[in-house]
Amino acid sequence: MKRNGPLITLLAGLALAAVLITVNLTVNAPGGADPDPAGFGAAAPTATAAAPATEAPATSPPADPPPSEPAAKVNALWAGPVDGGGATIAIAVTDGVAVAYLCDGKKAEVWLQGTAAAGKLELTGAKGATLTGTFGGGKAAGTLAAAGRTWKFTAPAVKKPSGLYRATATVRGAKVVGGWIVLPNGSQVGVVSVDGQPGPAPAIDPATGAVTVDGAALTATPVTGALTGN
Amino acid sequence: MDTEGTRRITSAAGLYVPLLLGAVVAVTLGVYGNVHTPTGVSVNVAGFSGPMEVKVWLASGAALLALVQLVTALAMWGKLGPGMPSWLGPLHRWSGRGAFLLAVPVAVHCLYALGFADYNLRTLAHSLLGCFFFGAFTVKMLSLPKRGLPGWTLPLLGGAVFTALIGLWLTSSLWFFTTFGVRF
Repeated sequence: MKRNGPLITLLAGLALAAVLITVNLTVNAPGGADPDPAGFGAAAPTATAAAPATEAPATSPPADPPPSEPAAKVNALWAGPVDGGGATIAIAVTDGVAVAYLCDGKKAEVWLQGTAAAGKLELTGAKGATLTGTFGGGKAAGTLAAAGRTWKFTAPAVKKPSGLYRATATVRGAKVVGGWIVLPNGSQVGVVSVDGQPGPAPAIDPATGAVTVDGAALTATPVTGALTGN
Repeated sequence: MDTEGTRRITSAAGLYVPLLLGAVVAVTLGVYGNVHTPTGVSVNVAGFSGPMEVKVWLASGAALLALVQLVTALAMWGKLGPGMPSWLGPLHRWSGRGAFLLAVPVAVHCLYALGFADYNLRTLAHSLLGCFFFGAFTVKMLSLPKRGLPGWTLPLLGGAVFTALIGLWLTSSLWFFTTFGVRF
């Protein structure tokens, strides 16, 4: 028996890994501009280039302790436009359970759910959507991948009434799911899906969450904890 | 494989170097996965809808080959009855190489794009198993050519590698299929 066969196997695996990592580093090199920030939905089969993850917020001065002590459950709210604009993201964390929502206010939206712990965000959504990132120092940063696209974001912490709102209802037999992101400057973006068909959402009243969708009065509530009704 | 005419004194001492190197591999992977900030993206393979789909199918291929590994290993050790066809050894070797080479791109994507995750039991188990798998595989490969190792060496290492790979599949691909559906 060829006694160096196993060694060759190991080296072949190592070589394959080296090639793949090299390709990754090349493809994901900084400077890959996003060609079409708003036009998501069309599933591009190739991973679009994105710069390596931004500087970790964890490197912020240790003088101000972030609200996320390792032992404590994380409660936080971040919202802001994604890098390059074209979409807005909000992440609401309640006792370590994170819900993220990205939408363009027209017809594209992604809901994700996961965890926020020890400065790291890990969320997944329908159709293989993923969000990975870090948080601390009053902001959250990371990358969201969905529908063959990726978005990078650095979102500042916000306070109510800014944040993430959601409404679910059944209107005349149609399942309605709406998501809204309210930003500190009072502007809001949202998408309502009726039986899976997304469209622009009418504005909500941030004070009460009241909104009228297809003639039906709904109430959007701040997202706290795991998603339900979807 | 251990059918040498001359009796040798068996000693587990020959395992020290393979075990040490295997541990280095496992720890290196874990440290890299923790230190490297996940990019969230990685190169894709044409024909699939996304990198996650690529991974679950590569991993499923590896898991299938691992089952071939288990059956051929049992046969080689006479557990499936006497007599061993001549193609059994090559089948075991090549299915193993195939499984390993399928697993490498998966691991690269895991470590590069997602990192070592511990935010729930599934991801923690998967991360630990992933590091363990490549460490255990390294030990097995480095032990194979060595003579005079105890008889339990290869079954133990092979069993560890097999168990780790199946565990990896259960904590990733099966979870993916049951969560998002079977897709390409």
